Amino acid sequence: MRILVVEDDALLARSLNKSLAPLGHQVESFTTYQAAHAAMERAEFDLILLDLGLPDGDGLGLLSWLRDRGNATPVLIITARDAIDDRVRGLDEGADDYLAKPFSLAELEARVRALLRRSQQRTSNRLSLGPLSFDAQSGAVYLDATPLDLPHRERCLIEGLLQHGERIAPRELLENRVFGFAEVGSNALEVYVSRLRKRLEGSGLRVRTFRGLGYRLEMDTP
Amino acid sequence: MIEVTGSLKSRLALWLLVTVSGLGALLLLEAYFGARNAAQRAFDSQLEAAGLTIAEGIQWQGGQPVVKIPAAALSILATHHQERVFYAVLDARGETITADLDFSVPAAWQDAAAQRPVWRDARFLGADWRLHGRELESAGWQTQDPVQIWVGHTLSGRRALAHELFERSVSRFLAMVLLAGVLMLLAMRAALTPMRRLRHLLRQRTAEDMRPLDARVPEELRELAETLDTLFARQRDSHDALLRFTADASHQLKTPLAGLQHTSELALEERSPEAWHEALTMIHRRAADTSRLASQLLSLARLRHLTGHHETQCVELATLVRDTLLESAASLAARDHDLGLAPLPEAPTTIRGEPWALRELLGNLIDNALRYTPAGTTITVRVKRDAESVELVVEDDGPGVPTAWLGRLHQPFERGGRQDTEGSGLGLAIVHSIALRHAAELSLEAGDQGGLRVRLRFPFAATGTTS
Repeated sequence: MRILVVEDDALLARSLNKSLAPLGHQVESFTTYQAAHAAMERAEFDLILLDLGLPDGDGLGLLSWLRDRGNATPVLIITARDAIDDRVRGLDEGADDYLAKPFSLAELEARVRALLRRSQQRTSNRLSLGPLSFDAQSGAVYLDATPLDLPHRERCLIEGLLQHGERIAPRELLENRVFGFAEVGSNALEVYVSRLRKRLEGSGLRVRTFRGLGYRLEMDTP
Repeated sequence: MIEVTGSLKSRLALWLLVTVSGLGALLLLEAYFGARNAAQRAFDSQLEAAGLTIAEGIQWQGGQPVVKIPAAALSILATHHQERVFYAVLDARGETITADLDFSVPAAWQDAAAQRPVWRDARFLGADWRLHGRELESAGWQTQDPVQIWVGHTLSGRRALAHELFERSVSRFLAMVLLAGVLMLLAMRAALTPMRRLRHLLRQRTAEDMRPLDARVPEELRELAETLDTLFARQRDSHDALLRFTADASHQLKTPLAGLQHTSELALEERSPEAWHEALTMIHRRAADTSRLASQLLSLARLRHLTGHHETQCVELATLVRDTLLESAASLAARDHDLGLAPLPEAPTTIRGEPWALRELLGNLIDNALRYTPAGTTITVRVKRDAESVELVVEDDGPGVPTAWLGRLHQPFERGGRQDTEGSGLGLAIVHSIALRHAAELSLEAGDQGGLRVRLRFPFAATGTTS
């Protein structure tokens, strides 16, 4: 994957580079608005990490310029401005995610992974996480490339979970997806989730419950 | 925003103009009629004098009046203007005894003059005239028929006099207006001097100078001066608080930075990779804490000292809490905790507030709970609703805080005696500041499972209310 890093602090740019390159990405760093602008005009990237406070301009300007050209490259904003207003403004301008400095590199890697996967899924029309994948066209579910024969409701549940990637899929949303707008008991969804858990046993995937919030599909990490 | 709405000078001048022109019109009318009357009176008495002089020149010879017009009478009649004069002496039957012009006095006027002396306006021979008629009884012991004497002249003399009088009044009036205008300008300048002095004083001030004003002002400006003083006092206080806070903050930042410096310095003298690794681990943790401390200090400073304007809006607290939790629970920091949301109330949970501040508040509460409790702790966020308030509760089943500390936790740099954790001691101070901004009650107490329970009661805002 080709990643553009626009960050004026040399130390931070270097550590971003060092943390992303080993994951198999090709990272290009620029420190000024002008240079980044030129790079964006010249080449296509899979992800842009954008600092807002650049010495010769506002990163938001770069973002809106990009979006005005109809370029949908995922953009992750990195900034020391932690006011939520700025964050909302950034997301309004078309940023895909936002990290306020200081952040840990582990957090950054997780966000980058999620953004790249989402943008890939947009193009391939296939939702996947680890060994599990869902073909949005045919509605087929695969585990380790073997098709799983699943009842309709479990398929809907998997689709809902995969659509949220590494974020939490809110419970109400999953309930709507699985049961439509029919009135269901509070445990109904939990029943389908535990069935899914059984199917995923030993696959390296698990479904984590977030009390009162929803569920998330996760890779088993040792 | 300062909007200039006309000048005081021009407004005063306008009022003066309106008053002066109203009064002036009345005064001029009065002067006009006054001048006319005065001229009329003066010339009427001249006519009377002329009539009497002619009367003295009448003698009776054999019962017949003989008239000899004295030259004095004519010179009285003819003023120094180009005037035409008229005189006529009539006998008792109304026949002209002598006259200088061919004009017969109407019979009605003769009858009136028989009673008492009369003045009449007339128009004949192509001019306006003023006539005076009186009847003369013969003097002496022989009774004779009375004669009537009529005298008159054209009006140019009267008009000239009236004109002259009027002109004089007008010029006096104009002089008065001019004088009043000049006086008003001078008075206005004098009245605005204290204002200019005040402006000068304020302009001379440097940005840091927030001492009370030292100025002499008239009563009308007292309120303004006092308001300025209050403003200065408030700025002084906030400035002092900011200075204190900055000093505190720099002290708080210096300590961990010194730690970083020493650790790295010692590590550079070491030769073994194990020692380096250990030092780097320590540096990494310290650096993360320090940068977090810096951003929290900034938040707190902003909340406490930039209270200029905050725009509140209606916020559905339950929705905001749910969205914030969806993010927090998914974060790496929450990986080892059970962070959950209790079922939300069905009723609306609207409050007035700033969404960013409320997210920051909840974020800090959650962050605190994650930091100060061991892995595996259950943290539950609740939103409750009663008649007048919406309550936000964050409760954990961790080790809790000794009761003695509970009242002090919201003060900056207070860590409840837990100097061992990597917390900054600012989280609850931030929460406290935000609660103040939202008129919310903050209370800290021991939870049912022994952990800490933080409760925030916000006033409920029925939808549709605005502020």
